Order: sequence, then structure tokens, then C-alpha cells
Amino acid sequence: MKFYVCIKQVPDVDAPIQIKDGNLIQDTDRMVLNAYDASAVEEALVLTEEHGGEVEVVLVGPEKAKETIRKALAMGADKATHITTEDEVDYDSAVYANVLATFFEDKEYDIISCGKQSQDTDAGLAGSMLAQHLNLSYATNAVGLSIEDENLVVKRQGDSGQEIIALPAPCLVTCSNDMNEPRIPSLKGIMQSKRKPMETIALSDMNVDESVLSAKTQVTGYKEKPAREPGQKFEGEPDELAEKVAKLLDEEENVI
Amino acid sequence: MSTLLTHIAVSDGKIKRSSLEVLSRMTQLAESNGHSSEAVIIDTNASNYVDEVQKYGASKVYTISDPIFENHQNTPLLKALSKVMDEANPFVFGFGSTEGTKDILGALAANTDAAVLSDVSEFELIDGGIKATRPVMAAKILSDNEAHGDNILVSVRSGSYDLNESPTEAEVVDIDFSFDEGDLKATLREIIGASGDKIDLSEAETIVAAGRGAKDDEGQELVEELASVLNAALGASRALTEAGVMDPSLQIGQTGKVVSPQLYIAVGISGAIQHVAGMANSKVIVAINKDPDAPIFDIADYGIVGDLYKVLPPFIEELKKIKE
Ligand SMILES: Cc1cc2nc3c(=O)[nH]c(=O)nc-3n(C[C@H](O)[C@H](O)[C@H](O)COP(=O)(O)OP(=O)(O)OC[C@H]3O[C@@H](n4cnc5c(N)ncnc54)[C@H](O)[C@@H]3O)c2cc1C
Repeated sequence: MKFYVCIKQVPDVDAPIQIKDGNLIQDTDRMVLNAYDASAVEEALVLTEEHGGEVEVVLVGPEKAKETIRKALAMGADKATHITTEDEVDYDSAVYANVLATFFEDKEYDIISCGKQSQDTDAGLAGSMLAQHLNLSYATNAVGLSIEDENLVVKRQGDSGQEIIALPAPCLVTCSNDMNEPRIPSLKGIMQSKRKPMETIALSDMNVDESVLSAKTQVTGYKEKPAREPGQKFEGEPDELAEKVAKLLDEEENVI
Repeated sequence: MSTLLTHIAVSDGKIKRSSLEVLSRMTQLAESNGHSSEAVIIDTNASNYVDEVQKYGASKVYTISDPIFENHQNTPLLKALSKVMDEANPFVFGFGSTEGTKDILGALAANTDAAVLSDVSEFELIDGGIKATRPVMAAKILSDNEAHGDNILVSVRSGSYDLNESPTEAEVVDIDFSFDEGDLKATLREIIGASGDKIDLSEAETIVAAGRGAKDDEGQELVEELASVLNAALGASRALTEAGVMDPSLQIGQTGKVVSPQLYIAVGISGAIQHVAGMANSKVIVAINKDPDAPIFDIADYGIVGDLYKVLPPFIEELKKIKE
């Protein structure tokens, strides 16, 4: 099984965020492997450990994103491709999907996987866009994966329950982070990652159609979320609290 | 005059409320901008739902009916949606942000070369496009976005807009559709936990959600009793779905469902940011937690500081009295 996992470097959503004049001020030293992609890497490693095969990660991003590729290699991925971009780009999901589609044109693979969304934008579009460009059958929001015969069997969370879908290879799947706990690289893994093959391709050297590099959507600014005001907090005897709050919900809020 | 088209999602024989919320918004935008509000229903028997859709102001309703739509499958759905886009050429095509939508939105945009903004909480029309607000960074902040083009897809978080009736007599256009099952490369083998009589979380008016504080049998029974008294849907924090106490489909939050009920009762939930990301849109939030400093109290309208095992029994009794 040849796995390609598409990964992305994103700001740590737990790091402090500030907004100044509509711009996002973030601690750029705290860039991380997108949590959903980490789950996709973990799952690919588990499946190849079980069934044999190889895991290659591919990342589109600036020079700095190499750290994130190293992290995936340290987890156990066999090799990597880094498609390098300028430091500051305002690509949307569609641009990333188009770049990746060009990359995959001449590649052989059984399964392409990625996170179901990127934890900074939460857009959740690139995976199914890429599948469409490559004309692959796909499933999104996987909460479980297994391999049976030549099929990737995906358990995905749908609207009315968990759907079990068999996809014949080659196919694409996007992963939720509910299905595993991504491994933390061991010291040995970190040492080995430095010797693993990493190919670097400049985006400008790729044959990507210029027209698809200009995004159809733009982020024009950021703003604070109107805070939810803390309401009333009650302490005391359970019986009295229960009665008081039940009354309020009924008489003041009309929600009972 | 341009077309503002809304996708009406049907699941388990019912129209998803979030679709009607989007249609309400689209009708309002169409009226104030001189556009036409139209809708598309894709189902085994789409005409069943036309009457309800008319109530929310669609002047034209496209129907696509085929047995293949019995369950969600992305290949036929994509084909049907692409076909209706050809037919209706919508300037804006709106969707409720359901799991089904999330599965196809990117692929549909790629297939039709449309601009797309997903999971928005607000949107309006601008010259040649739309402007929209999206919660980002685990819903900690909001981003302003614009999308331009002749066809723009937008999916809208449930609860973002109120239902607003403005009945019309719609023209119904049945679109011819056929799908060869042989074209399905993916095989849907089974759906686990298909919600027959269960209340769908993302549509529920009242939700009782349990966290780690209520993880034993006694806690679960109390939470279930509270939900049953209120005729509420059950939800859970990730602590409980991960521990296998509650079904993963009940998880609320960043990686779970985004909900927007009238009443949300959080029992033994600390209020981690990833959980709050999924429920902060609730109209009234009640929190029951024994830790007076639990972050959930920062966003709760009514906080009860106390042990849930002591608070829930009298609370359930009081609610029963009110309900009688
Ligand atoms: C990338 C990522 C995504 C995530 N996505 C989600 C998500 O979608 N949804 C989600 O919920 N979480 C999510 N999480 C996990 C989240 O960070 C929290 O770990 C989780 O929400 C905690 O669940 P909890 O509040 O039930 O448990 P805890 O944080 O352990 O809180 C339990 C609470 O119960 C109270 N308590 C205990 N006993 C009692 C008692 N007898 N009576 C009253 N109160 C009591 C305690 O005071 C405490 O406040 C995510 C995490 C990550 C990293």
C-alpha cells in the first residue's frame, strides 16, 4: 500500500491570539502539524504497519514548514515532499487542492489521506476538492479506517449515524481526530527523521496553471467574537437551587 | 435578476431545519435585492417536500427524485447538484452546514469551478459576490471573508438565521435524473445507529449534554431522565465519547456537532474551548458543575454550583411539576 498523506502547518489554536487593526497577531514560533493531519499520519502508519507499504507526506508551504514535515517523519513516515511557496500567500482551499492535484498527476498511489479540515480555518474543503480533481472516489470525516482485501473501509460520521463505506484503491479519505491518539515522536524517531528522504520542489517550478493560483475567496479581516456574558451563578442547597433555576427557565426564559 | 438557490436537505424523511433557515435568509436577500429565491430538493421522492418549502418563499422549486438518494452517497448527490447548477445557474447556492454538505461542498466547487465559503455564521450580498463571517481558530475569533464569481457556494451553520415564513405559490420543475449504480465505485455497506426515533442533535430545540462529571451509570441515568423529562436530545463532551460511555455521534464541539438549541444544559462539563466551539450559539445555557471556577460558568446564563448527583434529582422533580 502506498499512502500519501497531505499535511499542513498551522498556528497553534491554543496560543494566545490578538487582533490589531483587523489583523491577526499570532506567535509564529508556535506553528504545529494540523491536529487532523496528525491523525491521518497516525492512521496511515498503523495501517502500513499492519498490511505493509509506505507512507509519504506532502506539504505545500513556506520554508519554515519544514519543521512540520520533520515532525511527520519523526512519527514514522518514510519520506516527504515539500512544495515550497513564498512566506506570505493568501491561498484558499481551492488553490491548495489545485497545487496538490498537479503534484499527484504523475504519481502512483493506493490511498491519499488528509485531515478533514485545517484547525486554523476550519474550512474542510480541500480534501474533497482534491478527490474531484483526481477523479477519485472518496469519503470525508473518517472516524475509523481498515483495509479489507483491496478496499479501504471507512467508518464516517454522517447525519443519521456512522456510515461504513468500502472504497476500492486508489481513493481518498479525510480524517477526523477522533479515531486515534497521534504518537509522540521518540528520540530515535527524531534522529532518524533527519536522514529520511525529503524532496523539495518550488511551486514556481511546477506546472501549475497560473489562473488557479489566484484565490476566488479572500479573508478581509479578523474581529473579536462578541463575548457571551456570564449570567447568574447560584450556590447553596440543591433543593432550593433546583427550584429556583427551573422557575427561571420556565417563567423568564420560556424554554421549558 | 439573479438566482439565489437553496439546497433543501432531507434526512430520515424530514427536511433539515438548517436548510429552511438558509432558505429564509435567501428569500429575505432576494426580496431586498430584486433577485429570485429558488430551492432544490433531492430525495427518493422530492415532491413530498414541496409544500413545506413553498412556505419559506421559494418561487421555483427544482425536484430530483431517484431511489439512489435513500441514503447519503456523495457520487450521485454531486451529479445531481452539478446538474441543477447547470439548469438554474445560481449566483449564490446556499446549504445548511450538515455532515452531508461537508462531504460534498468542496467537490461540488471543484466540479463546477465555483467559489466557496463553508460554515459561515452570517452572509450578505455585495457587488459581484458575497461577504461572510466565519468562526475560525476553534471558533475563538471571527474572520471576514469575500467570495467573487458567477457561482458562489456557501454553507451556513445551523442556528445562524431564524425561520421566517413568507408563503408563495412555487413553480415546480422536475429535473430528469438517472444514475447507474454501476458507476458507484464506493459501496455503502451499512449505517450504524441510524436515528429512528432519536432526536437529531443539530436540529434539537433542547439538549442535555453530559460530561466526565456524569460518567458512571448513576450519572448517566440521571442525565437520561432529565433529557426525557424535557423531551431533549442527548449530547456529550469528548471526555465521554472517548471513554466509550456515549456514542461518538453525540459529541458536541469543534470535532463533533455544532448545535444551536433554545436550551442547552451542560451537566458535569468543564467548558473546554473545543466543547464551547460547538454549543456557544445556544440561546440559553445552563451549567451544573461542582467546581465554582469551571470555565463553563463564564458562558452560562444560569450556573448551578453543586454536585450533579444531589442537584439533578430535585431539578428533575421541579421540571416534572412544571411540565404537568
Ligand atoms: C483538537 C481537539 C479537538 C477537541 N474536540 C472536542 C469536541 O469536539 N468536543 C469536546 O467536548 N471536547 C473536545 N476536545 C476535548 C476538550 O479539550 C476537553 O478535554 C473535553 O471537552 C473535556 O470534557 P469534560 O468537560 O466532560 O471533562 P472534564 O474537563 O474532565 O470536566 C469534567 C467537569 O465535571 C465536573 N464534575 C466532576 N464531578 C462532578 C459532579 N459530581 N457534579 C458536578 N460536576 C462535576 C468537574 O468539576 C469538571 O469541570 C478536543 C480536544 C482537542 C485537542
